[in-house]
Amino acid sequence: MKNTIKNIAALFLIFIFSGSLANAQGWTVPNSAKKKQNPYEATSKNVSTGKKIYNLHCKSCHGDPTIANMLPLAPVAPTDLGAQNFLVQSDGEIYYKVNKGQGAMPTFEKTISDEDKWMVIAFLRSFDKNKKVKQQVAEVKNPEVTDVKLELNVNEANKTLLAKLSGVTKKGKRVGLQGIEMSFLVKRSFGYLDVSGEDPYTNEKGDVKVQFPADLPGDREGQVNMLVKVTDDDFYGKLEEARVVTLGVPTDPVNPLDERAMWGTRANAPIWIIVTFVGGVLAIWSVIFLVLFQMIKLPKLAKSKD
Amino acid sequence: MNDLPKQKETNLSFEKIKKDILHPMQNHKGLELWIVFLITVISVCGWAYYIQLKDGLGVTGMRDYVSWGLYIANFVFFVAVSLVGMLISSILGLLRIDWITPISRIAEIIAVAFVAVAGLVIVLDMGRPDRVLNVMIHGRFQSPILWDVTVITTYLTVSALLLILPMIPDLAICKKELTKASPIMKKLYNILSLGYINTPEQHKHLHKMIRTLMVLIVPIGLAIHTVTSWLFAATLRNGWDTTIFGPYFVAGAFVAGSAALIIAMYFFRVNYKLQDYITDLQFDKMGKLLVAVCLVYLYFNLNEFLVPGYKMKTGDDIHLKELFYGNWAIMFWASQLLGNIIPIILLVNKKFRKPLPIMIISLFVLAGAWFKRYVIVIPTMLHPHLPIQNVPENFVHYYPSAIEISVTVLSFALVLLIITVLSKIFPVVPIVETAESKGIEVKIDA
Ligand code: HEC
Repeated sequence: MKNTIKNIAALFLIFIFSGSLANAQGWTVPNSAKKKQNPYEATSKNVSTGKKIYNLHCKSCHGDPTIANMLPLAPVAPTDLGAQNFLVQSDGEIYYKVNKGQGAMPTFEKTISDEDKWMVIAFLRSFDKNKKVKQQVAEVKNPEVTDVKLELNVNEANKTLLAKLSGVTKKGKRVGLQGIEMSFLVKRSFGYLDVSGEDPYTNEKGDVKVQFPADLPGDREGQVNMLVKVTDDDFYGKLEEARVVTLGVPTDPVNPLDERAMWGTRANAPIWIIVTFVGGVLAIWSVIFLVLFQMIKLPKLAKSKD
Repeated sequence: MNDLPKQKETNLSFEKIKKDILHPMQNHKGLELWIVFLITVISVCGWAYYIQLKDGLGVTGMRDYVSWGLYIANFVFFVAVSLVGMLISSILGLLRIDWITPISRIAEIIAVAFVAVAGLVIVLDMGRPDRVLNVMIHGRFQSPILWDVTVITTYLTVSALLLILPMIPDLAICKKELTKASPIMKKLYNILSLGYINTPEQHKHLHKMIRTLMVLIVPIGLAIHTVTSWLFAATLRNGWDTTIFGPYFVAGAFVAGSAALIIAMYFFRVNYKLQDYITDLQFDKMGKLLVAVCLVYLYFNLNEFLVPGYKMKTGDDIHLKELFYGNWAIMFWASQLLGNIIPIILLVNKKFRKPLPIMIISLFVLAGAWFKRYVIVIPTMLHPHLPIQNVPENFVHYYPSAIEISVTVLSFALVLLIITVLSKIFPVVPIVETAESKGIEVKIDA
């Protein structure tokens, strides 16, 4: 009984202490904002989405959660967002800070969507030791391996992609690596489209199978550039396989610059605007020249009087 | 030209009119000093422009966000003022309003001077002015820039013609009377007067040409300022993204132009001793006209700010709050109150439409109009749709640099110089038309 009380008191102190620490850095978060809760569940899919967004937008300053390898910015360095004394904050509090920013911490109010911000928070929460329901991906113990290989098989008839991740154990046996997240990316005009689907984790054989979308446009022959990779480089280093596959819907590309439009080059200006401009200029300037021409007549009219 | 209901009995003869109007052109000591002063200012400020040309636009206060600064605001102001030529000599002229006869030439001189320098200001705003012709060579019909360049050149041409053509009879007089003029000037008068000796055929022919141009300049005048407004309104930016920008600019232009005309009228009246010609009547009528155009402009301002202000939609809100009670509030409210509302209140009173008070009020209106253009151009540039982040401190604010201010002073000096020179070589009040309007017989010898 006494121990419980002690524990509670200790926890209470930690709370106050960490709270005052946060305040010392000058964040003021309104109470109403603190009450906000993450509307998204901490599913493995959401956590991994959050991780991708984190790596894209936050990692450059905050480093890897729990590792404390932040950018040494002055006067206030970024926080280790996986640290327990940070995670005592409520979801709403973190959300508010990400939105507003402060000092070197940028505001993400407009640059990241709400959904993405909540995903990041779900990801950060996965490091929270006090979290009751641990939603972390089941830890899978793979044997220690060398010569890790990523193989890709494409079935064009069914539009499926099969990736196999394997490595060689100490005993010299090649085995599949289980529970590793893979990314299946299709190159588009601006960046990559993720077609990995709901559950892109390798099974016990090291396989993961992904259905390619039926309606994704490709080039004239239906070809697209495919990039398959192990999502997280931390496990086995950078492993990826790029390939041109014929899985897209054959599409004749339209270059918007080829049509007559307001945004086109001068040669592709809409006819009506050329006609208006040229017509207007011709009409007005022909009147001007007419008047100039009439001016020549003026001296002659003086002579006709005599 | 018009049959006036006989004003006061005048003891003016044709000889006296000729003498009154031509005399100050040649015998005005202060005028030469004034020209020397203007040339000095232009040379000093020309040095600033030389630095800008040498070192590039980096010497201005313009950066990535505010890339249209003082120069463009000033350009819009100049275009606005120049519209007075179309308002006075064409619209009122076509309506056969008779009191404009003595001031129509001043209006036309203002129009020519301001629109010519407006075109130049654009060139002054270019980092590589040697490439200015590319606007024409590679210009896209879809771009308001090409339209603007075209329409400004056209307006300048027609305004110049509308200055010269009605002046032909007067030039014929100058040719005869200004015996002390330099040989070059005599040659100029000789060429420009086109052998005019006021035969009925010549009179009829000349006025047909003038009337054609007066009709022609109305659409051009509307176009010049509407297209200038489209430079802004055709972009999706808070504060510019509005449908009434064309008429709003045109209305604002009439305000600025009328004020400028009143100021010029006052100075010519005093310095050229033209009290008998530019009379209190002209000031009184111009005062009423100014009230009218100010009211129209006020109406547009209500629409332009009250309607978005009522909705306060995202994006617009930041912009409007900055204008209403933020960093731009002083400039915004000063231009609205001192440049529009208070002048209206004062000018409905007859006492304030006397020459001196109305000239002073017009100075405020004109200054207000200038600052209004500044408030239209710059705050919008400071509020892009994407938040401004992680940029050098001087991207976030805009203060015109000394170089920019000097070059702007240069443009003003140039306008004044053009007006001064034109009024030195040409009679500022139409001699023949004035005589005709007073029923005095006109005689021009061959
Ligand atoms: C440009 C570097 C930078 C980037 C990028 C960045 N941060 Fe920060 N962040 C900081 C700094 C510096 C602080 C400390 C600011 C302070 O306390 O004054 C901070 C503080 C925070 C805090 C408050 C920490 C606390 O102690 O309460 C949160 C939460 C946060 N960042 C989340 C994020 C998230 C989420 C992202 C990505 C979407 C992100 N940050 C991206 C630099 C950055």
